[in-house]
Amino acid sequence: MPETVMDSLTLSHFLMTGAVLFCLGLIGFITRRNLIIMFLCTEMMFQGVAVSLVAFSRFHLNDTGQTFVIFVLTIAAAEAALALGLVVLLFRRKRTLDALVWSQLSG
Amino acid sequence: MPIELIKLIPWIPLLGAALCGICCMKPAWRKAAGPISVLSIFIPFLITCGVYSAASGLQGDDKIQTIYQWMGVGNFTVNMGYYVDSLTMVMLFVITGIGSLIATYAMGYMKGERGYARFFMGVSLFIFAMTTLVMADNLVLIYLGWEGVGLCSYLLIGYYYDKPEAVAAAKKAFIVNRIGDLGFALGIFLTYKAYGSVSLHTVVDKAIEFLNDPNYTATTADLWIPFLLMLGAFGKSAQIPLYVWLPDAMAGPTPVSALVHAATMVTAGVYMIARLIPVFQLSPYALPTVAAVGGVTALFAGTIALCQYDLKKVFAYSTVSQLGYMFLGVGALSTFGGIFHLFTHAFFKALLFLTAGSVMHALAGQLDLRAMSGLRHKMPVTCWLMFAGCLALAGFPFTAGFFSKDTILAETLIVGMEGNGLFTLLALIGLLTAFLTAFYTFRLWFRVFMGPEHFEMGDDHGHGGDDSHDDHGHAHEPHEMPWWPMNAPLAVLAFGAIFGGLIFSGWMSGSIETSTANPIAIHAVDTHAQTDPGYSIIQVASDTSGHGSEADAAHGDEHHTLMGMDVHTAMMLISGFIALLGIGCAAYFHWLNRPLTDEIAKKFGVVVEVLYNKYYVDEFYDAVIVKPLRMLGHGFFLFDQFVINGLVITVGYLPRLVGWSVQPTQSGKMQGYGLGMVLGVAVAALLVFKWAF
Amino acid sequence: MNLLLLLTIFPILSALPLMLPIKAFDCRKTVWSYALLSTLVTFVFSLVAAFKFDFANSGQMQFVDSVRWVESFGLTFGFGIDSISLWLVLLTTFLMPIIILGSLTAVNMRIREFYFWLIVLETFMIGTFVATDIIFFYVCFELTLVPLYILIGVFGSDNRLRAAKIFFLYTFTGSMLTFAGVMYVAYINVVNTGIWSFDIQTLYVAAATMSGTEQAWVLGALLAGFAVKVPLFPVHTWLPLAHTEAPTAGSVILAGVLLKLGTYGLLRFALPMCPEAVVEYAWLIGVFAVLGVLVTALICWVQTDVKKLIAYSSVSHLGFCVLGLFALDADDTGAVGSVMYMINHGLSTGALFLCVGMIYERFHTRDMAKMSGLGRVIPVWATFTVFFVLASVGLPGLNGFVGEVLTLIGAFLSPTQVLGYEYAAFAGIGMILAAIYLLYMVGKVIFGPVLVPEVHTDDGGHELKDLNTREIATLLPLAAGCLILGMLPNGMLVSLKAPVSQLTAPARFVANTNPLDTDTASIEPGLRLVLDAPGSAPGLTPDISSGIDLAINQSTPTETADRAAER
Repeated sequence: MPETVMDSLTLSHFLMTGAVLFCLGLIGFITRRNLIIMFLCTEMMFQGVAVSLVAFSRFHLNDTGQTFVIFVLTIAAAEAALALGLVVLLFRRKRTLDALVWSQLSG
Repeated sequence: MPIELIKLIPWIPLLGAALCGICCMKPAWRKAAGPISVLSIFIPFLITCGVYSAASGLQGDDKIQTIYQWMGVGNFTVNMGYYVDSLTMVMLFVITGIGSLIATYAMGYMKGERGYARFFMGVSLFIFAMTTLVMADNLVLIYLGWEGVGLCSYLLIGYYYDKPEAVAAAKKAFIVNRIGDLGFALGIFLTYKAYGSVSLHTVVDKAIEFLNDPNYTATTADLWIPFLLMLGAFGKSAQIPLYVWLPDAMAGPTPVSALVHAATMVTAGVYMIARLIPVFQLSPYALPTVAAVGGVTALFAGTIALCQYDLKKVFAYSTVSQLGYMFLGVGALSTFGGIFHLFTHAFFKALLFLTAGSVMHALAGQLDLRAMSGLRHKMPVTCWLMFAGCLALAGFPFTAGFFSKDTILAETLIVGMEGNGLFTLLALIGLLTAFLTAFYTFRLWFRVFMGPEHFEMGDDHGHGGDDSHDDHGHAHEPHEMPWWPMNAPLAVLAFGAIFGGLIFSGWMSGSIETSTANPIAIHAVDTHAQTDPGYSIIQVASDTSGHGSEADAAHGDEHHTLMGMDVHTAMMLISGFIALLGIGCAAYFHWLNRPLTDEIAKKFGVVVEVLYNKYYVDEFYDAVIVKPLRMLGHGFFLFDQFVINGLVITVGYLPRLVGWSVQPTQSGKMQGYGLGMVLGVAVAALLVFKWAF
Repeated sequence: MNLLLLLTIFPILSALPLMLPIKAFDCRKTVWSYALLSTLVTFVFSLVAAFKFDFANSGQMQFVDSVRWVESFGLTFGFGIDSISLWLVLLTTFLMPIIILGSLTAVNMRIREFYFWLIVLETFMIGTFVATDIIFFYVCFELTLVPLYILIGVFGSDNRLRAAKIFFLYTFTGSMLTFAGVMYVAYINVVNTGIWSFDIQTLYVAAATMSGTEQAWVLGALLAGFAVKVPLFPVHTWLPLAHTEAPTAGSVILAGVLLKLGTYGLLRFALPMCPEAVVEYAWLIGVFAVLGVLVTALICWVQTDVKKLIAYSSVSHLGFCVLGLFALDADDTGAVGSVMYMINHGLSTGALFLCVGMIYERFHTRDMAKMSGLGRVIPVWATFTVFFVLASVGLPGLNGFVGEVLTLIGAFLSPTQVLGYEYAAFAGIGMILAAIYLLYMVGKVIFGPVLVPEVHTDDGGHELKDLNTREIATLLPLAAGCLILGMLPNGMLVSLKAPVSQLTAPARFVANTNPLDTDTASIEPGLRLVLDAPGSAPGLTPDISSGIDLAINQSTPTETADRAAER
């Protein structure tokens, strides 16, 4: 039975899941102003891509995709540490997590 | 002496100029400049004498003495080379001979001046340029000398450079000369285009060939070349319309006026036309134009000279007028007359200027005729030296000026009698001018030296203001000049002015005949009834086969008689009478009955005013040429600053405009950038899909 | 090591220590001596190059070598010199020590940086002239902007930032278009051969296959950069501003060498690459050149700032240069004269800028109304200035005349479908105007009653001193150069003939082909290849040579000398 369930799931199901995750993250990134939430949203987009990669790996029956995912996770971890550090620094500067206060690039 | 020595002639003065330049550096050395300069002119004179016999015997290609190649691009080659024929030798005698005399005089005249060494450097440099000019074997080298003498003239006129009028005069001289030089340069280019060469002998030989070829028709280039070259000659030799610089050039020291602006430089134009006479003959209108301009200038300048009060200005206008005679002579194909007059004029005009300089020196810079009278007792030697010069200039019988002027007038009249009305008119103008010349010359002399003694000292602007005139310092009395180094050279000049005509006439005509200045013979005009006077020259030229051998015929034309005599003899009688008449009138009006003169002058006040102001030509040029050009300059500057630069700045603002228009997209909000990125990726993806599938 | 490579990179290498923290360089004199030594050594290298140069084959590229860069794209730094490049390199290396000699007291702050950028600039200028690879040329061409931008922007006078900005943007914009044009020719080459190459000779071959329209576009692109650099009349407005604001050293380099990059580029690229377009549009370029001569000469006349006057006179003078380049007369009189003119203008105008700089150092003003009669108070300076003014006016016997007369003769003899005598006649009026404005300046500043502005000396004194030994030593070599090139120009002219002929041969061929007889667009590309390739001109077949002046192509110095000897 689990096998049949698995059998009925095609590659596109996994890709759809990845895409949905990615889009949720994207929409969250664009619409939210809290720095931490925005950061979490980018993590969500990462995971969406990771799901797709794993799915491709299974589909092509080779390890490339999964290798990439391991890389991505590792880097994401390192980056999360840096990013949260930065967020803390930014918070200390303005005592708020609102992204709108950081708009020096305004032309 | 070996003929090769002639190559040294221009370079010795150049070396002299360099040495004088070194002398400028230390005050102690400055005194050496005068002798160096005189030597650097006198040695070439000796060389000229030494090589004369060798030089006049040169034939064919031997006449060309090349030192090295100056420029060469393809076919356009210009050598630093000299063309030595008898005309060159005549000019060299004039330049180095009279040059050394004037430089000797200047040693005394300029003594104690602040720029003593600078002055002699200019003089030596001038002799370099002038000898180069008359020796050059090609047109570009002539141009080097041509501009070189212009430069020296600029530097020497501007000698008293803290006087604004001297600076202005110097500038004017250089620029007006440059206008002529442009014509000359374009003439050279066109000559090169038409003849494929700039070397004199090639050009002249080809022109002679064309003249002797009955089937040859003059091309456009042939018509234009003489007119372009003529413009250069008119600029350098101060003819209408470019004469305006010469009177102003009198702001320079007097020896410069004598050397540069009377004896040598200003005659360069006459020399050039004489040198290239076959080229001028090719164009039927060229020589009549030269003659007409010469004749009109002679009269025009002569009238102005009547009413000038500045001693040197009178002589300056007289120089313009005499140069007009020379052009008249050359234009009437009497190169002999033109060059002969150049030769004699060099003597007497140099003498006149230098004696005027002596007067000016004695009166501490006073030049106004009204401020001097009866000086004959104070400076007797100067008085009679100037008298000799005046006689020659007035054309008193058997003086030098008498012979040369008569030759010109007679030859002009002969051309006129051959059916060319223009030349008859010009001969009459020449006679009228001869009367004016005699009158204004002696007006000056009688005013200065005759009558009651009276003088006002000048304020010595003309002299550097240095107080070292010890030996003949500025006492409050006019005084005679010392014999050495001032009056002795003048005596030599005076001798030439009185006897030069008798002595050198034969030598001169022989010299002209054996040079390129020898016109292609004209005779038997009466067999051709010419409707167009201008064409007679070219037509007749093509009728004669040889040249040179028939040249005698050109000078002594036995077909024409006047009052039952040979034209030349008749002309001598007429002009001798006219000269005497002029002197007589001058004696009456300016010596014996001065009050009457003033009354007459008052009656014709307007005429006097116009003549005194030189027909307002300077004002006219200023208003019509100088001012508009300067306005144009201002206009262009504004145009440049605002229109052109404005356009550039506007173009520069375009990127900024684009920037402004897209500026709102850069909100500084992270979400905005994110959205932009997403949309961008989406569009890119869509495009890729559309392209790929 | 290849001599040219050494010559090119030596300056930049020797400049590096100036930026290191070396204590000794804190002293003005030490930096100055070091810079002087460096440029003198470079000058010696260039003299060695000139000495080893085979003048009998002056049309051949010599000392040819290349340094690899990105070979798959044909990017190499190829270099070599023919006599055109050699003379221009010599001009550069000759001017540099003089400029540094003259700058001892001109700069008072950031002295190290000043000399650093000057010497770096030398590398790029030499690089431009020795490049046989168009990318190498272009890189150096653009990189000259950077040091000069800094020299003007940091060391200039009051309005320096604006001047530096305009100078940079103006010339940079133009040369971007030039780059596009060059890339197009390179692209044609790829299409033809399938290989990327930026070697100039290869690109000549490629350019020969372009149609008339393509040539016109490429010519336009090349002109966009080079005409701005020259500068040709309507696009000259950056120059007076840059000159007035630049320090003396910058002005001298700008007038002496950098403007020549424009004319050099036109000669090296525009003429051989787009011959048909050149012949077709020469009249237009000629009109602008003549307009430039006349209009800017009149503008000179109304200037009150001495430096601005000389800056405008540069525009006027370079008009002659361009006119000569596009004359295309059968003997190449115009183009040879034009190259000569480049050298001459570098000497005489550079010297005039130095002279102006010397009085600016003394008076801190350049206003003609404020000074007069300086000949009386500083006679040595006055003598030199008058001398260089005369060289600039084109007095025969000094260098200016030779270039002027040759370019004008070239224009005068130019085939009627290219230029013609009208151009020479109108440009000739520029000779009169040059005399007017320069003598106007001399009359105001040097002659007349004495009027001296307030004097500022280095040690705070107010005593006016004439030129010192160092300043005389600065001007004397330039004066000697003017005199020697004026009296003995023939060596240079003879050596220039062969390379110039090669570069103008295609355009001359088109110009001398009657357009009614032959459709110029359909000339066999191969024919132009034969003409273009250096040294292969004798390979022309007899039937073709009837249309071309073969004798000129091959005329060697010895042959010219023979011809002279026949006289």
